[in-house]
Amino acid sequence: MMETEVRDQMLQRLISVLGLAKVLSSRSDLVPYTKDTYRIRYDEDYKYFPDAVVFPETTADVEGIVEIAAELKVPIIPKGGGSNRTGMLVPLTGGIVVDTIRMNRIVDVSVPNLYVTVQPGITLKELEDGLAKHGLALNQEQGSFKVATIGGSISTSGFSRKHQKYGTIADRVMSLEVVLANGKVMRTGPKILYTSTGYRLQQLFVGAEGTLGVITEATLRVEPIPEAKDAILAFYHDFWSANEAALKTMSTCVTFTGGEAYEVEDATSLGAPKGRNGLFYLGFEGTKGEVHAQVEFVKKIVHETGGVLAKHDDAAKFMEKYTSQWCGARAQTGLEDALTTYVPVEHMREFYDKLWGEVMPKHGSAPLPGEKFSLDVGRYRIMAGRFYLPKGQGAWEKYQALLRDIAKLTTRLGGSISSCHGVGIEHRDNLDLEYSEVALDVMRDLKKTLDPDNIMNPGKMLPDKK
Amino acid sequence: MYSELLEESISPKGRNALIRSVLKGAVEPDERAVRIAYSCLLCRRDEQSCVAELRNSDATEAFRRYLIEKGAKLLPEHAVLAKSLDNYGNPWQESRAARKRWAKGLQDKKVVPGKTSTLFYVGCTFALDRTLDDGPKALASLMDKAGVDYGLLLEDEVCCGSTAKRIGDIKLFEKLRRENEKRIRGTGVDSIVTACAGCFKTLEQDYPDLSEEIAIMHSTQFISQLIANDKLHFPKRAVKVTYHDPCHLGRHSDVYDAPRQVLLSVPGLELVEMKNNRQTARCCGGGAGVKTAYPEISQKAAVKRIREAEETGAEVLITTCPFCVQTLRGAASAIGAKIKVEELCVFLDNLAHKREGGRR
Repeated sequence: MMETEVRDQMLQRLISVLGLAKVLSSRSDLVPYTKDTYRIRYDEDYKYFPDAVVFPETTADVEGIVEIAAELKVPIIPKGGGSNRTGMLVPLTGGIVVDTIRMNRIVDVSVPNLYVTVQPGITLKELEDGLAKHGLALNQEQGSFKVATIGGSISTSGFSRKHQKYGTIADRVMSLEVVLANGKVMRTGPKILYTSTGYRLQQLFVGAEGTLGVITEATLRVEPIPEAKDAILAFYHDFWSANEAALKTMSTCVTFTGGEAYEVEDATSLGAPKGRNGLFYLGFEGTKGEVHAQVEFVKKIVHETGGVLAKHDDAAKFMEKYTSQWCGARAQTGLEDALTTYVPVEHMREFYDKLWGEVMPKHGSAPLPGEKFSLDVGRYRIMAGRFYLPKGQGAWEKYQALLRDIAKLTTRLGGSISSCHGVGIEHRDNLDLEYSEVALDVMRDLKKTLDPDNIMNPGKMLPDKK
Repeated sequence: MYSELLEESISPKGRNALIRSVLKGAVEPDERAVRIAYSCLLCRRDEQSCVAELRNSDATEAFRRYLIEKGAKLLPEHAVLAKSLDNYGNPWQESRAARKRWAKGLQDKKVVPGKTSTLFYVGCTFALDRTLDDGPKALASLMDKAGVDYGLLLEDEVCCGSTAKRIGDIKLFEKLRRENEKRIRGTGVDSIVTACAGCFKTLEQDYPDLSEEIAIMHSTQFISQLIANDKLHFPKRAVKVTYHDPCHLGRHSDVYDAPRQVLLSVPGLELVEMKNNRQTARCCGGGAGVKTAYPEISQKAAVKRIREAEETGAEVLITTCPFCVQTLRGAASAIGAKIKVEELCVFLDNLAHKREGGRR
């Protein structure tokens, strides 16, 4: 924690720049900013208090905050909706949490150029609602849709279940405005999609977890709202036969927005015949004729692969139910964690068998009922699952060893440890398995260039050099 | 509250984090902790969309109680209400005798122990706020028209204790509850009707023994029964109205249909729902001591609700809680909204007097 004298000076200066209503510093107000939804070590709960939380409303506000932090060498923790799961918001060494939640304006909508410029604190839902008034959509849907902000989503390199047709947030970013650690405001480049001039600086901030600067504005590619939407849900005997349908679909040229293959304990509530607990879901968007043709095309695949189609309404209901479970599962189930590994298709079975057959039991962990495995269908093949945290003596160490072994298995098979939840604290010390020391050194050098005093979200993402 | 300030400490998530940290001993509750505890409308709207089914309203009410029991002082704004409740049996610093002020001409309606079967429990705000006392007059008039044998406690009525309970002063609540329950039991009635959503929730849910023995009804449920039994009719009135669900009647007590049935019994009346209605209705901003402690935020919430009502194109916004009427009326007047805010019984009683189209 910082010295009282520095803290007092910092608070005084923050209040003089921002005004009292944009600065919180009482311990009771700081409690919710001590962590995100990361399963912090039990004995470290409420250990990491920030020294202040500030609520900038403009880029100038952020400039003012960063200037103070840079001068006093005080950490800055940029924050969006706060739904992060890997601890990237934990103020490990105190400092200023820059809560961007009041920077929630749509700055400009360009219908002919199909882009929108927003402040970073607008939530994905608020942005979709705002864009709909112009007949446009960003098409970024994730479990935290209602609370995740654009800035947070970019900084985490978040997932979208409509990735197959519209990509993820990484593919939507055209240009960013960032306040760098020295207090200077940088525009990464013009608000255009394609250019062959210069480094793509905007991509540097995708998944950077606030370690390189504070995003203050984002220009994002948007699309017209489609004329038609539809969905297909089919039931299979097990996950692997549902996956066959997914692979077969992927091998054709049919377009879909995104999809799921997964297994549940009992799918009868969704209208499935008894014993058919493997699900295959696909969503479609486009012109009416296009969507009709796509649906008919995939229905044939379902038929050929032995699937049973759900009733049309059940398919729509399924996604609604699935989303609601996704959002609140953490609070409902307690001591569990989520897996968002990405493993190449050809190694999926090996990964599945080793994960649940060897790695999990070795560390005393097991899957949550009905949450063992799900797979995103399309190019973004997250292999997701939920597992209980190890319990008893040395539980934390067992948990860390479990994460290390999952990371070893994933990276040995050519995959990624965390495909959409970021690195934060949780995966930081396993990043050496995914990246070479050369690559990590380049990342460290970039960080040093942009943030020589290490004030931007210190202790996150990048492992220390051994 | 959170949607107005966007400070996480006053969001349900933030408040729950504070509660946990205080109970764990990690944080000593300071002055801000008390403010945070009182920054919730206890409206339960957030709970409707919480898939984890967290009971944030109950947790917050319990946290207020915990803080008070641990020696925290009530907010000065609330202390005034508590002192008045303790001294006069109402939160509005009026004498006990003032409670019968609204009931001029109804002195003969004083409940007769053993004879009266239905008690009309008026509540402090309806009885004492001169801008709202047309409410009880209207309900009395409607009951007269329907030939209901009802009685009033008049100056002997005591606050139900809702305000004390919501601000966490459980000792005061218990004192009021004991006093009130004794007086109600002394009447020997077998049913209670109240037009106040707050009194209704409190009598029905926080007086467990009483509510087991005596039927407690909100005026909308009672009127709905009178209509169903052909005891009340209303003349034709071509009017477009919208209905605001008070939190204590809707989400807290699950009474959504009765007020709508009553409104739809008026021939020619068109009921248009607001974008957020029933379980997802926005709070008027007047609940749980927030209006007293945070008047500006309370008014912002009320303005949002008025805007929603305006979007329906309705001429009248009808509701069934004195606090909702008070708060929404204040907001409508502040922004110069044309929509009229009316209490349901007042609206119905005016109709019955106008007799535009005669009886059905």
